[in-house]
Amino acid sequence: MSIIQIKNLTKIYDGKHVEVKAVNGINLSIEEGEFTAVVGPSGSGKTTLLNMLGGLDRPTSGEVIINNVNIWNLSPSKLIDFRLHNIGFVFQAYNLIPVLTAKENVEFTMELQGRPSKERFERTKSLLETVGLGDRLDSRPSRLSGGQQQRVAVARALAPKPKFILADEPTANLDSKSTEMLLDIMEKLNKEEKITFIFSTHDARVMKKAKRIITVEDGKVLKDELK
Amino acid sequence: MLLSISWRNVWRNKLRSLVMVIAITLGLCAGIFSTGFYLGMADQRIDKAIKTELSHIQVHQNNFRQAHDITKFIPKGDSLVREFNDMPLVAGASPRIVIFSMIASAENGYGVKIMGIEPKFERKTTNIYTKIVEGNYFEEKKKNPIILGDKLAEKLKVKLGSKVVLTLQDVDNNIISGAFRIVGIFNTVNTTFDESNVFVKYEDLIRLTNLPAGACHEIAISVKNDEDVNLVKDQIAKATGSLEVMTWKELSPEMSYLTEAMDIYMYIFIVIILLALLFGIINTMLMAVLDRIKELGMLMAIGMSRVRVFFMIMLETVFLSLTGGIAGVTLGYLISKYFETHKISLARWGNVYTSIGYDPYVYTSLDWTYIINTTILVFITGVIASIYPAYKALQNDPAQALRIE
Amino acid sequence: MQIPHLGKTLTLAWRNLWRSRWRTLITAASVFFGVLLSTVMSSMQEGSYSSMIDNIVKFYSGYIQIHKEGYWEDKTINNAFKLTDSLTEKVKEVPEVTNFAPRLESFALASSEEITRGSMIIGVDPQAEDKITNVSKWVVQGDYLKQDDDGVLVASDLAKYLDLSLNDTLVLISQGYHGISAAGKYPIRGILKFASPELNKQTIYMPLHEAQYFYSADSLVTALVLMVEDQYHLDKGIKHMRQILKEPYEAMTWDEMQPELLQFVEADRAGGIFMKAILYILIGFGIFGTVMMMMAERRREMGVMIAIGMQKNRLSLVLFLETLYIGFLGVVAGFLGSIPIIAYFYNHPIELTGDAAETMIQMGVEPYMYFSWLPSVFYNQVITVFVLTAVVAIYPIVNTYLLKVQMALRGT
Repeated sequence: MSIIQIKNLTKIYDGKHVEVKAVNGINLSIEEGEFTAVVGPSGSGKTTLLNMLGGLDRPTSGEVIINNVNIWNLSPSKLIDFRLHNIGFVFQAYNLIPVLTAKENVEFTMELQGRPSKERFERTKSLLETVGLGDRLDSRPSRLSGGQQQRVAVARALAPKPKFILADEPTANLDSKSTEMLLDIMEKLNKEEKITFIFSTHDARVMKKAKRIITVEDGKVLKDELK
Repeated sequence: MLLSISWRNVWRNKLRSLVMVIAITLGLCAGIFSTGFYLGMADQRIDKAIKTELSHIQVHQNNFRQAHDITKFIPKGDSLVREFNDMPLVAGASPRIVIFSMIASAENGYGVKIMGIEPKFERKTTNIYTKIVEGNYFEEKKKNPIILGDKLAEKLKVKLGSKVVLTLQDVDNNIISGAFRIVGIFNTVNTTFDESNVFVKYEDLIRLTNLPAGACHEIAISVKNDEDVNLVKDQIAKATGSLEVMTWKELSPEMSYLTEAMDIYMYIFIVIILLALLFGIINTMLMAVLDRIKELGMLMAIGMSRVRVFFMIMLETVFLSLTGGIAGVTLGYLISKYFETHKISLARWGNVYTSIGYDPYVYTSLDWTYIINTTILVFITGVIASIYPAYKALQNDPAQALRIE
Repeated sequence: MQIPHLGKTLTLAWRNLWRSRWRTLITAASVFFGVLLSTVMSSMQEGSYSSMIDNIVKFYSGYIQIHKEGYWEDKTINNAFKLTDSLTEKVKEVPEVTNFAPRLESFALASSEEITRGSMIIGVDPQAEDKITNVSKWVVQGDYLKQDDDGVLVASDLAKYLDLSLNDTLVLISQGYHGISAAGKYPIRGILKFASPELNKQTIYMPLHEAQYFYSADSLVTALVLMVEDQYHLDKGIKHMRQILKEPYEAMTWDEMQPELLQFVEADRAGGIFMKAILYILIGFGIFGTVMMMMAERRREMGVMIAIGMQKNRLSLVLFLETLYIGFLGVVAGFLGSIPIIAYFYNHPIELTGDAAETMIQMGVEPYMYFSWLPSVFYNQVITVFVLTAVVAIYPIVNTYLLKVQMALRGT
């Protein structure tokens, strides 16, 4: 069942003397349960594509339909709300709010959703245990390693039960051991709970684990391979 | 070299530095302008006090001022007056008979200070002759002429040409009165002065009081140049021997207080402004240092001594402070300069000011020394503000800074 | 706009303050400095105004006076009026009036054997006057006037000037009602020492009937002095008075009788406001600088928060609260600092000496610096700091709404 449909998506930047077509009429469809990597060199339009997919950057033309909702027809505040309930983000770094503990960070999105505190606490505990940090509930990010922070970020992204998780180069700042751990968790979540992951990455290890690889170049999809 | 680096570093984060510079400019502009304002006010008051009320120096018999006893007069006052008038530094000297007593019209009576004066001498020591609004300053040959302030005339319900009665004690303690005709009405802007001082001719008053010829209670002296006041005072003291000789400052604690206190208050105000700014400057520089913590560590690693780093931060702080400081002082000075010739009206509280002797308007007045001293204070503020941020800059461990992330 | 989980928002804002401890503390310290200075200064100003006004109102002029119409512009004995029963009845009808007393005031020359000086004669009903202005407490030598006394009370500086003391004879000369000469000799029953130097130099209290005889002003008075409970009751009281009282009488409040006093207070207050305004504006700049730096540092984080679903209004609220907290910290610290200072000086007014003291005495004011506990001294600072931080907070709020998420995420 396709949860994401990208139709004729285009993004044009007004450069100083010339128009730049960062994304040039891309069409894509993503199904539930996918573990997909979007790859491409810098300047390929990959980041722009994923920003538009995640509701972070407005397309010049085209549509992004998530769960039958054309997200770019929503008002700005409704869009923020949509992201809250439907999209989970894991960024390359600086995911967590430094003044909140791991537990509070994971709870944060659920609080924004208005879920009752008992539900929040239980889900938080269970998610942090899943990512292997059940004993670090009350630690602030400054006390966690890079890998641990990313795992908390995954837990946080999952907390509001989103339709999919958008991860922008999540392993870029990690050593190989942490990368291994993070990818294993994500793979496990994907296999056991059918959680959809969309990565943007350069990392060969991520690409190895991916089930589908979309290669982007010059704003267009070059290759779209299923493994 | 260090100077140029420091200066450029200040502007690395333009917005942040600009906010602080604007704040400093505003603060100092306000401070300098206020100084000009209050000094102008004080100068005007002092000028009026000297020219209208006190003159530069006054001579009395010892103990006269305590009780204004009519018998404590200066014998042969007229010869002293002639002697003083001959002194090269003296602009003029005038004799006065001074009696505190009562003036009455058909309607009312009030207590006043009655002064018997010699108009031709008095013109050289006070400027009351320029403040006549009706009539003239003893120019006609009328019998028993008197001039008084317009406020007093109002209260007595009299006008030019009316008759008033002065009741007083003569030198033998007899109560006597004399009728006087109003030949002039003055307005000095100081309402209290106008309400409580009346002037009659020396010859008329001496006749009324039966004082010996040539006697007077007070000799007022004005000097040609303000700076010579103390010098002239000494000369006069020598010439008079045992009489009491006082300068305007000594005569009026209000004036003396004004001149001394004004300076201090103005500097206190500026210091307070600088203290308020100090916090902001420290914060700004603290951020500027913390932003560059790695870079500073690197500089120390490649060989810049700690002293140099400290000095560099101090220079940056001083540059930041002085930029705002000089801008503010200049702006304040320009605004003050404008108001030196365009008066600032205090009409809203006019009555209050005139009743205590001030004009209901201000012309600002500023001295170079204030400008220079304030700039120096800004410099010092910069130096003090730099201490904590510079200390923080030195906390670096160079080795840590060079670690590749 | 709903604010769910307000508690969490408050906590988040509070914790954010302490990310950079020194910066927050230094900024709060600047507010503390401003609040401390302003509070102490306001306290000093209000203290001196109160004492000035009290000196005039409670101890001399009273809150309201009734005169013959036109008396105040032309204060001559010829404008005295007959104190009739119907007038006193009317006065008693006004509920706000707590007490009243008649007076006959005019000028006279006071002499001892050798020396003569101008003075103010205040003819009073000794009992009634004491109830209103409590004059008897100023008696430092001798006794207060008895109801049927034929002697006078003289102010200390005047007595000293005339070289007279208790039981000596005072000679008075003046012009009476309709120009009749007035002359009389009176024994000195007591010496008064007022707080106000002005009153000390010229005042003589006489029993009313003696004064009326002296001025040939049989059953006449120049004023009826009325007291009310306080300034608040004054406004209601004067309104009532004016409804009941018509010509040829007029009623005036103390500030109508002496507008210079109120004007002086206003002028001085204005000067103070100017200084405080400058101070707070500068502090505001400092807070602005700090907030600006806070925003710049957290740009990325703000992007993350909006990306994962925090509404912009909620984020703005967090930033607004952070700014307010800084002001709040400074205000609390400022009060904690200023309260002991004001408390001490309230009970121990600073005595001035030297030229400063002389100047104040010449202006008719006691040479003391009084402090005031008026609540406005304190809450004015709270309001000012609140408004200041609110204005500064506009910057982060606007900044948040203008934030473009993808730019923020890319940044720093």
